[in-house]
Amino acid sequence: MNNTELIRLQLNHLVTQARQDLYTLSRSNDFYKNQQTLQRVWDSLSSIHFLSELLANQAAKHPAPVQNSLMQPPATNQSQIPPITPLPNQNTQSNNQRFFTLQELATFDGKNGRPAYGAVNGIVYDVTNNRAWAAATHFGLVSGKDYTQEFASCHAGQQSILAMLPVVGRLVQ
Amino acid sequence: MNQPILPPEPLTNEAIAERLTNTAIKQLDRGLIKKRNLVYLELNGCSGNIISLLNGENPDIEYALNSMVNLRYSNSLMAAEGENAIEKLMDTLDEDFILAVEGAVALKNNGLYNIIGSWKGKPLTGLEAAKMLGEKASSILAVGACATHGGVSAARPNPSESVGLQTVLPEKKMIKLPGCPVHPDWFLGTLAHLILYGEPETDNLGRPLMFYSTLIHDRCPRRPFFDRGIFAEKLGDKTCLFKLGCRGPVTRVDCPTRQWNGHVNWPIGDDTPCIGCAQFGFPDAMAPFISYDTTRVVKDE
Repeated sequence: MNNTELIRLQLNHLVTQARQDLYTLSRSNDFYKNQQTLQRVWDSLSSIHFLSELLANQAAKHPAPVQNSLMQPPATNQSQIPPITPLPNQNTQSNNQRFFTLQELATFDGKNGRPAYGAVNGIVYDVTNNRAWAAATHFGLVSGKDYTQEFASCHAGQQSILAMLPVVGRLVQ
Repeated sequence: MNQPILPPEPLTNEAIAERLTNTAIKQLDRGLIKKRNLVYLELNGCSGNIISLLNGENPDIEYALNSMVNLRYSNSLMAAEGENAIEKLMDTLDEDFILAVEGAVALKNNGLYNIIGSWKGKPLTGLEAAKMLGEKASSILAVGACATHGGVSAARPNPSESVGLQTVLPEKKMIKLPGCPVHPDWFLGTLAHLILYGEPETDNLGRPLMFYSTLIHDRCPRRPFFDRGIFAEKLGDKTCLFKLGCRGPVTRVDCPTRQWNGHVNWPIGDDTPCIGCAQFGFPDAMAPFISYDTTRVVKDE
């Protein structure tokens, strides 16, 4: 099965889901259930938008007639759609025992293609793809530094934030 | 809700704000609720919020303000000027009124960096006016980034020593409507709620939940690109603007669904990152607004 067909299947599935949700919404008076359904409709719509853009891009790049492409083996430059939301701590097992000095840590500032790291309580975390660290900055803080005090003052008791971050190593004096 | 409601129209945010304002006007017409006085004070800022409010529609600001409240003072909208205008401001002090404030309070030199008029030959500072009216107002709305937390007026190096309204009125409860500027619906919807049902439900920072409850990131139409790690490298790219510095993931407000300029578009819809203008700490805490020197590995093309 080639990629276009896979996307079409996904689109059809999402449209069916959205129709079902709309029907549910029009029938149900349960406020809380409706909120959940509405959220799902929203997500479906976003995914449909994404997939249609993907299809449009492919169509623009490969204007070849459909019959021909059926004869050829599947195009190699069409990669599989990556799974939604990679699991946290997925690749932390491999290399999370590295030791950083403050100077070394400072080089991971998220500039010029480098990853963005930050340290809290002696542990160095990767915030490169953390959503609260757009452009490797977070409420005026730049990455590549020790933020033990800042974390304690703003996120006291919110250890779950740290638990969700990939660990890359430890800070040494 | 006895009748089944077809999604999505009656449940959208703009529909809620419109329903609120229309209901308030209807109840006033029937004499079920009374018009209240509104004082709209402009302090140390750029008047951006009143300009934004003038852009409101269905209902527009003039209709909404005249039909829902008696606008007793607004230096941008009233006909009176000079001491006559300030006299009208002083007249409301003895009556019941809602106070809306935009702009920060300048503290330097006892408030002399922001003078809003003259009263009995003496300059009236924003600091005096904020304290005097704030103490007497029955409800206070802090409108826009500067009034809620200092905003642009208090950005480094803050030469006028500006602060948010709460700092000079620490004991008073106030509803905070951050945003630079505030969306007309956020202000008119909150005002209508105040008149109809009293104070709206707010979060622990004083923001009405009906407008400020959801992260932009969670309602962003480009969320699938973020989830799949597909990021824009320059302005104009149609994918997730996270790497360029989008503050949608830290900003709670309903821009993705409400949209601006008559609900037609919003920054991310026009391929430019959210700068977090409705988040506390804007603008300093939201810097840089854009960065091209990013974590992304630049590929050879």
